[in-house]
Amino acid sequence: MKVLVPVKRVVDYSVRVRVKADGSGIDLNGVKMSMNPFDEIALEEAIRLREKGQVDDVTALSIGPRTVQDTLRAALAMGADKAVHIELPADTPIDSLAVAKLLDAIVREDGYSLVLLGKQAIDTDLGGTGPMLAGLLRWPQASFASELTLIDTHLRVVTETDSGLRTLELPLPAVVSADLRLNTPRYASLPNIMKARSRPITVRTPAELGVDVTPRLRQRAVSPPPARAKTAIRVESAADLVRSLRAEGALK
Amino acid sequence: MYLTELHEQVRDLARQFSDEVIRPAAEALDHDERFPSEIYDEMAKLGLFGIGVPEALGGPGFDSLTYALVMEELSRGYASVADQCGLVELIATLLVRHGTKEQQALLGDILGMRTKVAYCITEPEAGSDVNGIRTTAERDGTGWVLNGGKIWIHNAPVADLGFVLARTDKSAGHRGMSIFVVDLHAAGVERGPKEHKMGQRASQVGALNFTDVRLPATARLGEEGRGFHMMMSVLDKGRVGIAALAVGIAQAGLEAALDYAGTRKQFDRTIGEFQGVQFLLADMAKDIEAARLLVHSAASHIDRGLDATKACSMAKCFAADIAVARTADAVQVFGGSGYIRGFEVERLYRDAKICQIYEGTNQIQRVIIARELMKKGARG
Repeated sequence: MKVLVPVKRVVDYSVRVRVKADGSGIDLNGVKMSMNPFDEIALEEAIRLREKGQVDDVTALSIGPRTVQDTLRAALAMGADKAVHIELPADTPIDSLAVAKLLDAIVREDGYSLVLLGKQAIDTDLGGTGPMLAGLLRWPQASFASELTLIDTHLRVVTETDSGLRTLELPLPAVVSADLRLNTPRYASLPNIMKARSRPITVRTPAELGVDVTPRLRQRAVSPPPARAKTAIRVESAADLVRSLRAEGALK
Repeated sequence: MYLTELHEQVRDLARQFSDEVIRPAAEALDHDERFPSEIYDEMAKLGLFGIGVPEALGGPGFDSLTYALVMEELSRGYASVADQCGLVELIATLLVRHGTKEQQALLGDILGMRTKVAYCITEPEAGSDVNGIRTTAERDGTGWVLNGGKIWIHNAPVADLGFVLARTDKSAGHRGMSIFVVDLHAAGVERGPKEHKMGQRASQVGALNFTDVRLPATARLGEEGRGFHMMMSVLDKGRVGIAALAVGIAQAGLEAALDYAGTRKQFDRTIGEFQGVQFLLADMAKDIEAARLLVHSAASHIDRGLDATKACSMAKCFAADIAVARTADAVQVFGGSGYIRGFEVERLYRDAKICQIYEGTNQIQRVIIARELMKKGARG
């Protein structure tokens, strides 16, 4: 059984992003980039399934310019068996639907039984790819997984919802998106980081896959959030706190 | 900058491991003077020992710059842990360069921390002046007999294998010393008590005494009479390692001081709003960055096969000096709290001091820098 894990190269979580002076986007010049943390969790889960002998092959896939190969090398160092790079010219904008279509094409071509991906990427926080991919493939899906068990040919997935936990059972093939609590990704070891440098990466193009990646969304402007007003006040007692909260309308 | 993504990837791994595993454990390890096997086992699994050992010999095969980056990050968590990494790196480098196939087979267990090593040079009469060693190895049939004693030996209380510098020819001076690989569980090896140190207290340090310890012919590392030169050949890398370790201590001090300056309030404002404190922080940051660049430059000298002697001595000397001076400043930012056990900066200040002493005192480093200047000129 083969698992596909799409991994996105994003601005590292520790970076304080800045908006470009002309408002056209985020300034990525010299900014540290890393694998999207939720994708890392998805990859860890896939590797664990393989280590349990339930999966034969874990393929990491990334879409973008040449630099995304560094992210694929990180995936190989963690334990992915194969890496696929769908190459786009630098600075090509791409939206969730185009990503889902590319993944759809790859899944149909290479025959995966499970796509495990992050619930969202921490750059745009859209979270659209997983559901769109499931829709295109007409596969069942489970989003925000915090527990995943593979039993023969179906999956039991515990997902997080606003009101609590929900347990789903899905027949394979399926699409599952990983939430924060699914696992803690391992560290890649130094020998594996080194070995990953010389592993092959399969390079594909949208044209080969017959996918038009022209975005249907256009980003018009990006602006930083307005500075928050300093509204914090110090209160002397619990009674004062309740009075203040009532005055603000937070308590009735 | 000049770091590749591969460098950054390894540095980030060491940084994350340091933040998650090492730094939270440092205070207790300092207090208990305990050898943290559990941390070393995890590090071994990640390949953080023997960073420069080639892949053919079972290591990851990274360059000296990577080694320096890892040392700084480990040390930022706790210098004793970094120093264990430094010790293994030195021994591994000796084995890679001078070991027989049979001796190199030891690398697997050394890098896996199943065999703990000690590098045994210093003696009561031989500190900076290594030529003063009195430990002897005399021929005995096909093998050798080792007699003498070593002090201040890192890992002595816990080590399985000693790499011992001994005199094999009393009349030959620097050319009369050889290195032997000694099983420290063998008859005739006696360990002194663990020393209680000012800083880097999780590093186990003590004496080793050898009385008629019989060594097989295969125990000698490299050529007879070349022990001093072999030792010197790995010194550059050792100094880069300690320099990076010193930078890591200072960096931890800066992080703690910056954090404290932003939260501690006096006169209705954070102390970081006062220029007097800002200047302390600015001096820390610029000295640390200068030391780091010296370290990276020295490591790059080694990686490019250039003569790295002066660069390594400058890095070690400067980094150790600023580590002491700037952790003292970190204590100053903390005020009275910084003088109290349990505050990280108090430990950092103690941990920093040895950096001016071990791996060649900073006075010796200045002697080396001056000698190189006289030999090669101001730009040499």
